[in-house]
Amino acid sequence: MIEVKYFGAVAEKTKCSFENVISTEISLQELLQDLEEKYQFESLSFSVAVNQKIVSKATDYSLKTRDVVALLPPFAGG
Amino acid sequence: MLLLYCLHLPADKLNFMNTTARYNRQIILPELGEAGQYKLLKSSVLIIGAGGLGTAILPYLAAAGVGEIGIVDDDIIELSNLQRQVIYKSSSVGKYKVEEAKAMIAELNPLVKINAIAEKLSSENALSLFEKYDIIVDATDNLQIKYLINDACLVTNKPMVYGSIFRFQGQVSVFNYQNGPTYRCLYPDENSASVNCTDAGVIGISVGIIGMLQANEVIKMILGIGEVLNGKILVYNVLNNEQQKYDFEKNNLFLIDRITFEEKYEAGENVVEEVTPELVLNKIDSEEVLFLDVRNSDELPKINFKNGIQIPLTNLENELGKLNPNKTIYVYCQSGIRSKIAAELLQKKAFKNVKSISGGALGINQLLQEKIIII
Repeated sequence: MIEVKYFGAVAEKTKCSFENVISTEISLQELLQDLEEKYQFESLSFSVAVNQKIVSKATDYSLKTRDVVALLPPFAGG
Repeated sequence: MLLLYCLHLPADKLNFMNTTARYNRQIILPELGEAGQYKLLKSSVLIIGAGGLGTAILPYLAAAGVGEIGIVDDDIIELSNLQRQVIYKSSSVGKYKVEEAKAMIAELNPLVKINAIAEKLSSENALSLFEKYDIIVDATDNLQIKYLINDACLVTNKPMVYGSIFRFQGQVSVFNYQNGPTYRCLYPDENSASVNCTDAGVIGISVGIIGMLQANEVIKMILGIGEVLNGKILVYNVLNNEQQKYDFEKNNLFLIDRITFEEKYEAGENVVEEVTPELVLNKIDSEEVLFLDVRNSDELPKINFKNGIQIPLTNLENELGKLNPNKTIYVYCQSGIRSKIAAELLQKKAFKNVKSISGGALGINQLLQEKIIII
């Protein structure tokens, strides 16, 4: 099981602050593609962290069970 | 007896005794001491933005005795600011924010030198301003300017203390500190869309907390104590009090020197023409214009233009086909920030006649109510 956390405008789209994804073997790209299909983030941009560390969305990262993924969009209020 | 003794002391010694009394509660901290107080006195901080974050940061840095503080903002105080920009008074409405902030600080701590800069930060004044200060604090409310602050910090080699808000969540980080990662390392996508407080809504306490965390980073950097949020972004949720820190690394692809800065901002800047709601309402019946609402469909007030279309900013790039490039496109959002980003995007996509309505739907709606124009 992989936990996915959502912040800011991303959480507004997903309508939840976290969810668990049940999957034995999945790469970060596959997970992001699945989420994109499910939630239609479109041009909403965000950075991605795996286990509290921001990673490049382009790297081929295979997620392990109990990994925590976070989608962090930039905030603009002040 | 003691009083008589004091009167015979030279002026600078007297000043020092005043200072010691004023700052006593922090000087007695072992981490600070008189040496720390001296570091504060000798430091200078530039705060960009005198809104929610800036007005939380400013009084605490001034009260602590930061020697020189610059504050940049060309805005005038509005009634709707007072709910979160708590250093301003009801009687301050209509006055320049930086002037009111300066007057407030003069009473709070006259030992601090305050530079009130009633200008908009731009690529033209950023470098010369930044060079005069040790630390740059980003207390702004839009993404574009954060990239400008980041880039100007890189050119002038200054640390940038970042803070921003989305409704009940906030982010804090320190960029370009001791050669550390930058805003672009965290958020490389410059053209992303994000809403500010005017558009998204905010409660004063959230900006207060995030501003306070920024002020705390500034003080730690000056004193050289604790751990600075260098290469870390703190995300705070005031509704459940959860906070997380995320690490990020430096990416040398995003380094910017003076030459690339000048190329980027002087040659490549697409200037978006902004028009006032007054001007626009004369064109309501024209067949040659198209009013483009880039807000989300649930945002109020709704304005039903005859020649209107709604495409949220986040979908705009994918739905350009819905727009007629031969018409003059007036873009609006809630307040005029997203519409400017949208207009820039359209210009890049070769739409020639694009203008952004300053003041947005709120401005248009107010005018419609005042003048009772029927559309």
